Amino acid sequence: MTPILSLRHLCKTFRTAGHEVQALVDVSLDVAGGECLAIVGESGSGKSTLASLVLGLYPPTTGEILLEGRVLPATRTLVHRRAIQLVQQNPASALNPRRSIGASLRLALDVHGIGAPAERRSRVAALLADVGLSADLASRAPSALSGGQRQRVAIARALACGSRLVVLDEPTSALDVLVQAEVLRLLARLQAEHGLTYLFITHDLAVVRNIATRVAVFQRGRLVELAATEALFTDPRHPYTRRLMAAVPVITEEEKAMRDRLAWEDA
Amino acid sequence: MNTLEIRDLRLSFRLPVGTVEVLHGISLRIARGERVALVGESGSGKSVTARIILGLLQEQRGVRLAGDIVFQGRNLLRLPPRERRAVRGTRISMIFQDPTSSLNPVFRIAPQFREVLARATPDLSEKAARARAAELLDEVAIPDAARVLDSYPFQLSGGMNQRIMIAMALANRPALLLADEPGTALDVTIQAQTLDLMRKLVVDHGTSVLFISHNLGVVREFADRTYVIYRGRIVEAGPTEAIFHDPRHAYTRALMAAQPRITGGGLPDIPERSDDFLAPLIEHEAAP
Repeated sequence: MTPILSLRHLCKTFRTAGHEVQALVDVSLDVAGGECLAIVGESGSGKSTLASLVLGLYPPTTGEILLEGRVLPATRTLVHRRAIQLVQQNPASALNPRRSIGASLRLALDVHGIGAPAERRSRVAALLADVGLSADLASRAPSALSGGQRQRVAIARALACGSRLVVLDEPTSALDVLVQAEVLRLLARLQAEHGLTYLFITHDLAVVRNIATRVAVFQRGRLVELAATEALFTDPRHPYTRRLMAAVPVITEEEKAMRDRLAWEDA
Repeated sequence: MNTLEIRDLRLSFRLPVGTVEVLHGISLRIARGERVALVGESGSGKSVTARIILGLLQEQRGVRLAGDIVFQGRNLLRLPPRERRAVRGTRISMIFQDPTSSLNPVFRIAPQFREVLARATPDLSEKAARARAAELLDEVAIPDAARVLDSYPFQLSGGMNQRIMIAMALANRPALLLADEPGTALDVTIQAQTLDLMRKLVVDHGTSVLFISHNLGVVREFADRTYVIYRGRIVEAGPTEAIFHDPRHAYTRALMAAQPRITGGGLPDIPERSDDFLAPLIEHEAAP
């Protein structure tokens, strides 16, 4: 089966006055339709660069990106933009504060010409219902919503044009733990119901273990380990992966034992 | 003797729409050299508590405070403003969440450090301040002090800036350190190093710490005792081990249940938000 997304020898080098930064170095990987691939790494690992390249915000220096077997051009057309959607980390800045929730959702429908204009109001209500929000919220401003509600709106907007691939950039990092649990459940349900594929960018390994199908670990622009989630957590191979796991603050004895075992094996 | 004792602290803001109660009578104590965590979600009142201790909120309009904050035997809420300000940055200091934005971007590190040292020693010469700053940077494992002192904050990494903030906060050997989500803005490996370093320093100097965080894992790693705060009320208090081993309050249990585990087990259940969250304080016995 053709992967929904393929990265082939992707490199991105940023040149500023005086020096070069290699943000991504020869990254190749496939994302299977319907999976949740976690992209894990610390700041400077290249995970956000990877997201920007997939979204087409800027072109790669070398290498290519294929969507369902077809090479994506450096300048994306409307159809390409519709196919890959984004949910950002901070829902407070992701939504236009001057636009009502309904107008933000409707904008996606208008831009991509989805449904007859007369039906769009009811589509907006359906989108809100899909993420567990009341249709009454459509007339509200983002500032009138809680952080969790805003993130649900951002997710609804990503779903508005029926794309199959969603890039989630730290979607729950800015949320409180009780709200995070709700949003993670929502993401898992939507993935199952709509057959979505997630590129889940995060630094939170505890979240990764419980939502991802596979995990790609990045360090300084290089893909250092790629494995199925269970395999990665039971037998992490790369020293950097092990170091990341050993640094996670944990709350149960069981988790502490797992971390101590990693540290002990490395000593 | 306790370094800090807060008794029945109440805070409300008078707004045009009416009075908003933020703290509904919280009490907590920190013994000398003890590391105490105040853990809760955003809006629970944890950061505002630190700001009151530091005396930053008292100067705002429309703020109504009641209760006692006794620091080294003196009630901070009854001190005249001048004396209260003299305590800040000398005997009580604070580390904020984002190190890079807590440092002034238009000054190099050296003059900012000197300003901190001058709070306790006003007649310190520039040369002496620089020498002292270098010693303190050495304590936080920054070997290349000369280069760092001549740098601007944006030329240094987040981890480096956080170490500088820790060095500054401990520069005047405060009796109490308030740490508001330190390291949250940093990568996990750097965060772990930063916490280790902070723990070592406060143990060496016998500093008491009020550690404010929403991150249960970090609290477990750092604190001797923990207070869980929910909507302006302390709901559970006790030794950190006891609370994590046997959480008894409905809210604490919900927080723990909502935290995904690195050992797996699936996505956490969505804890039901219930009136039980507002149930009275549960206190664990102190370890014998």
